[in-house]
Amino acid sequence: MSHSDKFDVIVIGAGHNGLAAAATLAKRGKKVCVLERTNAIGGMAQSRDNDGTSVPYIAHLLHNLNPTVVKELGLSSAIKLKELPTIALDPDGRHIEIAGNKAQYTDGSAHPDAAIYEEIRARIIKFGQLLEPMAARTAPDLSEGASFAGLPELMPLAKLGLKMKLMGKKEMREFMRIALSNVYDLILDDMEDGVLAGSLAADSVWGMWTGPRSPGTVLSLMYRYCTGGQSSLPIGGMGAISHAIADVAKNNGAQIRTNSAAEKLVVEDDQVTGVVLKDGTTIETKAVMSSAGAFQSMMIGGHENFDVEAVRRLRNVRSKGTTAKVNIVLKDVPEIAGLSDSQMASRLLIAPSAYYIEQAFNAIKYGEMPPAPVIEAVIPSLSDTSIAASGKHVLSAVVQYIPYYLEGGWNDKARNKLTKIVVDTLSKYAPDLRDKIDYTETLSPADIEQETGAPGGHWHHCEFSTDQMLAVRPVNLLARYAFGIKGFYLCGASAHPGGDVSGLAGRNSALQLIKDGAAS
Amino acid sequence: MRKPAKKTEKRFTPQKTQTTPFHPRTNQFNLMQNWDDWAGYLAANVYESFEKEYFAIRNQSTLLDISPMCKYRIKGPDARKVLDRVVIRNVKKIRTGRVGYTLWCDEEGMTIDDGTIFRFGKQDFMLLCAEHMYSWLQDAAWGYDVEVIDESHNICGLALQGPTSYSVIKEAGFKGVETMKPFDLREVEPGLWLSRTGYTGDLGYEFLTENKNALKLWDRLWKAGRQNWGLIPIGLEALELVRLETGFIAPGVDFQAAHAVSRVGRGRTPFELGFGKLVDFNKGHFNGRRALLEHQKNGKRYNLVKLDIEDKYPADSSYVYVGKEKHIGFVTSAAWSPTTKRNIALAELEAPYGDTIRDGIWVEVYVDKEGKWYRINAKATVVDGSFFSNPRTRQTPPGPF
Repeated sequence: MSHSDKFDVIVIGAGHNGLAAAATLAKRGKKVCVLERTNAIGGMAQSRDNDGTSVPYIAHLLHNLNPTVVKELGLSSAIKLKELPTIALDPDGRHIEIAGNKAQYTDGSAHPDAAIYEEIRARIIKFGQLLEPMAARTAPDLSEGASFAGLPELMPLAKLGLKMKLMGKKEMREFMRIALSNVYDLILDDMEDGVLAGSLAADSVWGMWTGPRSPGTVLSLMYRYCTGGQSSLPIGGMGAISHAIADVAKNNGAQIRTNSAAEKLVVEDDQVTGVVLKDGTTIETKAVMSSAGAFQSMMIGGHENFDVEAVRRLRNVRSKGTTAKVNIVLKDVPEIAGLSDSQMASRLLIAPSAYYIEQAFNAIKYGEMPPAPVIEAVIPSLSDTSIAASGKHVLSAVVQYIPYYLEGGWNDKARNKLTKIVVDTLSKYAPDLRDKIDYTETLSPADIEQETGAPGGHWHHCEFSTDQMLAVRPVNLLARYAFGIKGFYLCGASAHPGGDVSGLAGRNSALQLIKDGAAS
Repeated sequence: MRKPAKKTEKRFTPQKTQTTPFHPRTNQFNLMQNWDDWAGYLAANVYESFEKEYFAIRNQSTLLDISPMCKYRIKGPDARKVLDRVVIRNVKKIRTGRVGYTLWCDEEGMTIDDGTIFRFGKQDFMLLCAEHMYSWLQDAAWGYDVEVIDESHNICGLALQGPTSYSVIKEAGFKGVETMKPFDLREVEPGLWLSRTGYTGDLGYEFLTENKNALKLWDRLWKAGRQNWGLIPIGLEALELVRLETGFIAPGVDFQAAHAVSRVGRGRTPFELGFGKLVDFNKGHFNGRRALLEHQKNGKRYNLVKLDIEDKYPADSSYVYVGKEKHIGFVTSAAWSPTTKRNIALAELEAPYGDTIRDGIWVEVYVDKEGKWYRINAKATVVDGSFFSNPRTRQTPPGPF
């Protein structure tokens, strides 16, 4: 092996977090190599070509790409985003258009709950922005307690407390009141249940094993809205985001190797010294970052290198995926009564009430698919002609409450059933959809796990809930990216602050690694 | 100064107290009917007289029913690896047919318990300890080719201790025991394991066998020891005194088992308990290794030490001071030791007291003289090594002392 093959840091997994970690390190002069198991980078954020039609393979919209990450990596010129309004579809045809915090019927008439909707949403965003600084740094270490040594770690919490106080007594009290409660009660205290309420409730549960009535859903809504709550379509597809981050890494000297599966770490005297690939080659390195799931990363590091208690906790990280993806390649754009051509390009939401969502959640508890799932659909080809060279269109549907552990298991029959449920549900609003389908592609949570390695096919790798966040994400005592073995770091969605294409987990972890001096 | 409360807290045992396989005999001898709950089993505190039992340990031979000990069989190709993952010492160095004393820690380097590893074969071990450890050991064994079996309830144990214990074994007809050195382990007869170990610091042996063999074993030893060797059964109270004379530590008394406490900062590292030498950092990863390296770097917070206290009054639960009246710790176990004629104690002191600073330490002892309390400030000397030590404990072959 030549000397030049020794790296400062090897990053396992070229999902957007792995890439963000690599770019952050490379920009700071570290010699980095990213190892990707599959033949394509991007993980859940990638576009796949389908006979000249670019399909957003898994994720399709951005709503939380962190501005700090964009700024630090200099991404703003490399990525182009188009903000999409949301159309909350109504089975009775009274669809609602939501742009920013403003909601009105699609025909332009006023919605009776528009004012209270605006108030609730604005407050959630405000509270979310309050918490955002906690997401953009390593989770606080509270082990020193309220001592002099613990002071630096308590500062961000003290700042948060101060900012809360500065909101005024009423707002602070409101924050404390709702922060750990459920979104169902929060919304329905002030609004009639219906399409508008459903749109808010849906945003609190994407990718998660919770229904609107589950505690913690207000917090997850704050997290989702912590950068403003806008949904944006990346021009060029989701893959363009991953490639933009990858380019920053590469331009700063990082290598990205696809078809290179990391099998095991080489550990000498409790220090990472290399990575063994599946094909048997060993690459030397000073440090390793893993964007795989927490449990999967432990197995790469070797469970024997983790303490008994850590192994138990990591074995029990909750990560049962609940979200499937159905991509429908269309010969032509279907019609939805009441929507203009431009409105068809919006983010289309099927979540007609908070109650509907809770009903859909019920099925998953028993390993069943709900007959009426919650769907977020978008036809990106209407906003971005560059991705539909074939002249065809794509309807990309994120389908919520599809169980990872399906009763009877996942097979072609189950996938066909899921496709049918989704097409049937969409057809209620777009009756001509069926005639325009060219091709469908269905990914169950199990398929997503297979494809991306995300445990349980879970969006967040590790359910986003109060017992698995901040100082206990993914587990207690391993929440500050350093992952047991010296020089080993966790940098994926299962690390703080969690999933979504935000780039924070990767970026934060890389900064912590540098701070710890693990690659010098 | 307020006197700290005596440590009488009992752990809740959620089922009916069980009897050990020796109960038909122990019950018959227990004139006092003075029983305690030991890990869910009835265990005799005193059979007849505490003094008689204590002096029998140091002058004759004694039987102690140790069946309530937790006994975990660890078997399989990875058995050694699992044990090395768990305990602080190097298990490779415990050869087949040997027993090794060790401690094990949680991820923060805090002692969970101490106990002994019996190595029956290359891939066959038993861990004997006081604290229930089954589910934790299952966690430790996850991912390994190994079987962890809780044999606490189907294997019984009998300790034969005292200067004439070898003579009893010989008279009972066990062959080849004369060559057994301290910490040796042997299957002396099919299904009957004998080790030269004990908790008394004196010459002594421990038997392990299936429950069904219990009474046969008791009767055989009883018959051999009763006539010539002064064999009597002993209870936990006498044991408590001899273990203190030897300087053995007890979980829940001299240190708090990490799994049994919920308050922050109650755990103690093996360094702080005086077992730093057992920690083998070179054997690869083991539980709490990273935390222990940190503790080693940062130094000890406490020292568990042996104290020789002037005067004759046992310093139970006493505060320990240095100089004028600087409080530096408290006594965890104390007794008047009749054999060594010393007033002895184990005490936990704030580091570096008891380690580099040993002068000027004194103990505040409260003495109840028929309902009237007296306070005595007694000088204390830190003692290295055990209070009681006698060459007969280690002599091979042992004599008829």
